[in-house]
Amino acid sequence: MNFFLKNRWKILLPLGLFLYSIHVKGAIKTTPGNDTTATSSQEEAIKFIDDIQTLAVSDHWPNVKPALFLQNLKVNIRQPLSMYPGIGTNFCGYGALIYLLLHDDPLGYAKFMLTLYKDGKASMGRSTFEPAEIIKKTAGTLKYKGVLDIRPAEQMLYLTLADHFKGYINIFNRHFDPGDENTFWASVNYAKFNRMVRQMLNYKVNARGTDLLQPSVGNTYDYITRKMKEGIVVLYLNNRILRKKKQEKIKLGIPTHFVILLDIIKTDDQVTLIYWDYGHKTLRQLKPEFLHKIIFGITQCIKKDLIGK
Amino acid sequence: MENRLSYLIIILTVGLLHSCSPKNISTKYYVQNKATLDNIEQSYSKLYKQNPFIVGFTDKNFEDISLEIITDSLTYIYDFKINEKRLSDTLLKYNLNSPAITELINKMRSIRCTWVNNFDYYVETEKKSLVFLSIKPVGLSRPFSNKKYYIITYFSQKQYYNKEGKLVNNRKQRQLQKLNGEIFKRINDRVSYTVSSTYR
Repeated sequence: MNFFLKNRWKILLPLGLFLYSIHVKGAIKTTPGNDTTATSSQEEAIKFIDDIQTLAVSDHWPNVKPALFLQNLKVNIRQPLSMYPGIGTNFCGYGALIYLLLHDDPLGYAKFMLTLYKDGKASMGRSTFEPAEIIKKTAGTLKYKGVLDIRPAEQMLYLTLADHFKGYINIFNRHFDPGDENTFWASVNYAKFNRMVRQMLNYKVNARGTDLLQPSVGNTYDYITRKMKEGIVVLYLNNRILRKKKQEKIKLGIPTHFVILLDIIKTDDQVTLIYWDYGHKTLRQLKPEFLHKIIFGITQCIKKDLIGK
Repeated sequence: MENRLSYLIIILTVGLLHSCSPKNISTKYYVQNKATLDNIEQSYSKLYKQNPFIVGFTDKNFEDISLEIITDSLTYIYDFKINEKRLSDTLLKYNLNSPAITELINKMRSIRCTWVNNFDYYVETEKKSLVFLSIKPVGLSRPFSNKKYYIITYFSQKQYYNKEGKLVNNRKQRQLQKLNGEIFKRINDRVSYTVSSTYR
C-alpha cells in the first residue's frame, strides 16, 4: 500500500496518458472522414449575402466593384471547387486554405469577407488582417490570370493572406510590388501552410513532411488512405515532376504545390489520385514509387469539435 | 599581328553569340514558320472548341506526350509515348477527334513545338481566349542563358503595345502587362512573343 502511495504519480500519470491516447485515437476513428459536420451551411451563407440590401463601393478597395464582389462570394460558397488561384501565380497554398474554410464554415467566410471589404480589416481565428495600401489598390486589377480576372473577392483574399503570413521562403521579398503574385512574395512553405490553418481555422492539424525531404511514413499509399478516413488531407507536392514546365532530365527535388486530395485508389500497378487545385478536380495515375517521390508533405485536418465525440 | 588576331577572335565570338541571341531568333522565327505555326493554332482552336484539351511534349527528344482532357467534372492527365496505341484508344474513349489530334501532334513535333493550350482572359467581364504555343527551336538558347522556349500567343482580339512594342494593359494606362510572368512583344496586332525559361 505504501509503495502505491509513494509511487502513485509514476503509475497513474503514464496510465492516464495511455488511456487518454486510446480515447483520442478511438474517437478519431469514429469521425465520419471527409464529410465532417460543417460549422455553418451554404444556405446560411447565401441567405446572409442575399439579405444585404445595398453594398456601397469600399473606400478601402477602390478596384473591387460591389456587385462583382458579392457575385464572387456566392460562386465560391455554392461551388468551392471552382475557386481559382490564377494562372502563373503562387497562390495555391492560400487556395487550399480557403477550400478548407469554405468546406467547414461558408457563413464565417462570407462574414469575414464582408468585414474586410467594408472596414479594410478583419479577424479570423487568432489572426487579424490589416492589408497594406498597395494590396488594397491591387485587388481587382490582376489580369491574364484566367477566371481570377473577374473574381475580385478571391484576389482580395489571396493578396491579403500573402501580405499577412510570412515564412522563411518570403524572407527576400516581404513587400508587395506589382507582379509579385508570381514570385516568392506569394509562396507558401510547408510550415507556413500548417501555421495558417492552425491560426485561422477550426481544424486540428496533423502534419508529416518538410520542404526538403519526403516524409517517412512507411507505405505512402496506406498512410494517406488511413489519414483520409479521419479528415481532409492536403498534399504538398513536387509539381515540377507532376506537371513539368521544362524538358530537363535533372529536376530539382523540391515541393512547390498544395492540393486537396479528394480520392486515392490503388489498382495492380497504379495509384490514381483525384485532387483539387486551380478550379478543377484532376485525375492523375501514377506508379506507387513515383507517388512517394513527389510527396513532401501530408497534412491531415480534423474538425476540432469532432475530436473526442 | 597577335593583337589583330585577338581582335578578330573577339569580333567573331561576339558576332556568333549575337546571331544566336533569343532576340534575333524571335524576330525572325515567326515569319519564317508562319504557315505551320498559324496552322497549328487554327487546328488546335477548332479542336479545343469541340472538346477542350491541352497537349505537349515533356522530353527533349519529343517522344513523351502529356495530354490533359478537360471535362465538366474532371481534368484527366495522361502520359504517353509518341507511337503508343494507348494514346489513340484514350482519345477515342473521350470522344476526341483522334485523327485530327494525331495530325496536330505530328505537326507540333515537326517544328519542335513543346506545348499548346488555350488560355482564358477577360476584358471587363467579357470572356476572351488566346492560344499559347511554345516552341524549342534548335540553337535558341544562348550560352549561360536558361531562356529556351519561344512562346507565341494568338489573341482573339487586337492588343495594345507601347512604343517599344511591349504588351500593355490598355490604351489609356499603358502599363506593361505580363502574361504568365513574362513581358510579351508585338509580332502583329493579335500575335505576340516572348522567350521563356519554361514552356508553360
